Amino acid sequence: METQEVLTKCIRKDVWGLISFSAKTTLFLSVFCLLLFSSISVEAADNENCLMCHKYRQIGRIDEEGKKRSYYVDENIYANTTHRNVPCRDCHTYITKLPHDPITEEVNCANECHIKPPFSKENFSHKKIIEVYNNSVHGIKKEDAPELKSAKPHCKYCHLNPIFTRVQEERIAFDKTLSRCLNCHEQKGVTQAYKHITHRLRHKTSRSPKEIVNLCSKNCHQEVDLMKTLKVSHESLEAVETYSQSVHGKSVALGSQDAADCISCHATNAIHDIYKKDDKKSSVHAENRTETCRQCHTNVGDQFANIDVHSKLDPEKKPVLYYMNTGLTFVFYGSVLGLVGLMLIETVGRRRDGIKWQIRRGTTWRGISKIKTDIKKILNK
Amino acid sequence: MSTPSENIATTSEDVSSETMTDTSEGVQDVTYVEGVGNIPRDIYKLVKSDPLGDIPRYSYHIVIQHFLTFITFLVLASTGLTLHFSDLWWAPYMISLFGGADTARFVHRAAAFLMVAASVYHLITILGGTIEKVSKKRFDIRRTQIPILKDLKDIVHDMKYFTGKEHYRPKMEKFMYKQKLHYLAILWGSFVLITAGTSLLYPELMSTIWPNAAFFQDLARLMHADEAIMAITVIVFWHWSNVHLVPGRFPLQWSFLTGKITREHQIEEHFLEYIRNLEEIPEEKEYMKKVLKENGFETN
Repeated sequence: METQEVLTKCIRKDVWGLISFSAKTTLFLSVFCLLLFSSISVEAADNENCLMCHKYRQIGRIDEEGKKRSYYVDENIYANTTHRNVPCRDCHTYITKLPHDPITEEVNCANECHIKPPFSKENFSHKKIIEVYNNSVHGIKKEDAPELKSAKPHCKYCHLNPIFTRVQEERIAFDKTLSRCLNCHEQKGVTQAYKHITHRLRHKTSRSPKEIVNLCSKNCHQEVDLMKTLKVSHESLEAVETYSQSVHGKSVALGSQDAADCISCHATNAIHDIYKKDDKKSSVHAENRTETCRQCHTNVGDQFANIDVHSKLDPEKKPVLYYMNTGLTFVFYGSVLGLVGLMLIETVGRRRDGIKWQIRRGTTWRGISKIKTDIKKILNK
Repeated sequence: MSTPSENIATTSEDVSSETMTDTSEGVQDVTYVEGVGNIPRDIYKLVKSDPLGDIPRYSYHIVIQHFLTFITFLVLASTGLTLHFSDLWWAPYMISLFGGADTARFVHRAAAFLMVAASVYHLITILGGTIEKVSKKRFDIRRTQIPILKDLKDIVHDMKYFTGKEHYRPKMEKFMYKQKLHYLAILWGSFVLITAGTSLLYPELMSTIWPNAAFFQDLARLMHADEAIMAITVIVFWHWSNVHLVPGRFPLQWSFLTGKITREHQIEEHFLEYIRNLEEIPEEKEYMKKVLKENGFETN
């Protein structure tokens, strides 16, 4: 009995020891993991301490239309974006006192901000590209109809405040090249700057061809009804459809990085200078087309530029090809059905004559099959 | 059927004669072959065949060419269909199998070049063989793929046989109407696909060659896809059925690997060629004599 009691005590002690040990280990490991996975908080440019209020997740209101609006700013995300060094009020200029009045104005991207780009004494501004953009077909013009004015995209329609991502392309050896920059520059600043530049080392845009096509089509150019109310040209109405049937469109839809997207042809390197094709400034104007094709197709002659990129077999514009296509459809069904029919008739006929499916014991003509030739008749002759 | 080869070739009529008697009891259709005897038209029901083939039909050149075409065709079809039907649900999965759109396009082109090479190889073989035969005065148009009027008559005759209005299948040459049709379709299809494909691959070059580049590029886009889809459909539903599924060929007709055709197939669908085979192959003559004797036919 005594020995048994001692034994139970020992076991109890062991169990308690085990529990306390595992508790300690768990605590240690969880603290370690917390440290391991917690992101190091980055400071955004917020000298005026806007985040004092806007750091709260629940900050927001329900507006007059019943929509929920959030005014929360995640400092960690913001500090990784393009505009991380821009103080809030450089864009939100209409805020003049604290607490501020309800916001009624949009942000104006043409503002000058208090950031001086490297090697320049001027304050940075998007003014230049906005000028290009306003001249383009997407810029709002005085003579535009009100529905067209409201449908035209503004900066923020395409440009969210993007988080920098590394460009996953072989031609940019990210780590090697960046390590060379780090010989002289500070890690924090130059990594962002480096990403900023390599972002733009793709064909024309930092986005993939598929993203560009989606950006232009979704909710806009592919919406035929919307395009009709904006009174766009017939070609423009069908542009998304015809593009997605072209070799460029099909390749891009399957993830090609080489094939042309919308921007590849419809804009120069300024990207925002999209014009109607009848406009002489347009990169797809008859006079500029050859040059535009040459970006990818080297050794292009004048005839080449006449090839239809947004091709559609329209019965009015391409009657020969249209009726040829119809004819070929008949040929297709005719030949396929005809040949398969022939095979079926053949099989039925031969089966009736007694043929089996497979050669066994040297023949497929087994069982009931008998030859029709009468031996006696031949022998008598 | 007036052909230049008629007076130089040793035709089957020189050595054999046909008898056809229509009586109330049935039809006797026999072909007399010197040194063998009277061969009934439906003797193929009585002969023994090796599934791998008995009688030489294709040279090893043709076997290699078929194999090259077979492999490249599968690659071209799977990459081409995926690129063409890029909006279908399976396209992204299929394209990732080839390593993305750009790689798939490269694979398609590489396979195309190999197929063109196989076509050139075939043309050289065929033209070379024809020149050799002509120079040796052994050329016989009836043993080639060139369509002749008899093929049309054979189609009508065969249809009558299949519907029970004729007692025997027509006596056909080495290549029957079906094969000639298929061969011509391949010639036309290859011409269209290669021309249109070149136009799609080298639009810069071809736009300087075509008289109206805009029209011909559109034509090339239309024809390349259309002709390819037709070829794939015909191969899958007709050709594969003919060599895998129909009676006598199931599960596989081995000719494409062995270059040989089974005896019963040769007699059934290429009777006139078999008569020539009897003249050319002494063992075959002996074999046929044996079969005739075993079944109570007269031999000599």
